Amino acid sequence: MSAVTLSASTAREHGSRNSRRLRTAGSIPGVVYGHGQSPLAISVDAKAFRTAVSGEQGLNSLIDLDADGKKYLVMAREIQRHPVRGTVSHIDFQIIDPNELVVAEVPLHLIGDAVEVRHADWEVDQQMFSIEIKTRPDQIPTHLDVDISELKVGSSIRVQDVILPKGVEPAVDASLTVVTTRAGRVAAKSATGAEPVAE
Amino acid sequence: MPRKVKHRKQQRGRMTGMAKGGVELAFGDFGIQAQEAGWISARQIEAARIAMTRHVKRGGKVWIRIFPDKPVTQKPAETRMGSGKGNPEFWVAVVKPGRIMFELGGVDETLARAAMERAIQKLPIKAKFVIRPGTHGTPEVTI
Repeated sequence: MSAVTLSASTAREHGSRNSRRLRTAGSIPGVVYGHGQSPLAISVDAKAFRTAVSGEQGLNSLIDLDADGKKYLVMAREIQRHPVRGTVSHIDFQIIDPNELVVAEVPLHLIGDAVEVRHADWEVDQQMFSIEIKTRPDQIPTHLDVDISELKVGSSIRVQDVILPKGVEPAVDASLTVVTTRAGRVAAKSATGAEPVAE
Repeated sequence: MPRKVKHRKQQRGRMTGMAKGGVELAFGDFGIQAQEAGWISARQIEAARIAMTRHVKRGGKVWIRIFPDKPVTQKPAETRMGSGKGNPEFWVAVVKPGRIMFELGGVDETLARAAMERAIQKLPIKAKFVIRPGTHGTPEVTI
């Protein structure tokens, strides 16, 4: 996976007033830290940043940050957004080592058709929509597929059952449930003979 | 509503500013976000939940991110002023702009949008349907 290039300016002043002016001018204030570096206040162009994280990898994209001539390999970590507008108001960039493991959040996609569950009028209940994984920065998958075609009534798929690519390991408890099954309205009604309380 | 409270009656308070927390989707891919401040009663929350789940029919999971923990008192009709504060009548959740009130996951965007538009109709404030950034064709970054 190749890194995208993003240029940043280190000539930003601290404070809410200066940050507000930066945002009005189309930039996003941010900070670069990690690997023993002292935190460096920067600002990046909002449109350039949107382009950088609009690829397949999304927010897990590797970014070659050019901060006024000094280059850092970073990943966007915490993104602060405006509560109502949703615009990005601040970004944390973490410096990463390409040879060290990083933690990334990857979406989970359900594939296949749970035929047995469907025929029994039960429902597939997805409990986890993304998973934190630990891997090398260049091996972060865009998403992970969870095959539910073998899912049986009353059974569940846990983190330990998810097939991960080579070099990728989960960063969460392996016993956490990803997908489970629950009685649908028809199945619940036929079992109890009454309308289920929860709709 | 809470099972037990320290004080039965509360003052009304103010609702200035924007929500401080609970402003991002934490569970599902879709949500209802408050666009203005207001009180959402327990009945309205339940009505919105029922409207949403009935439209989805099967599958999907709903998360309610607000809780009605504020008692509201009312004096009986045709009562003279004075004689103390009225009786607690219902419970509300105080909501400020930006707050994610409901979340929905496990369904496609069209169904989620239709279900949540119905739920929004049950609420006393302006609210909008939101999608988790970076999913369903939405950009990670909004400018």
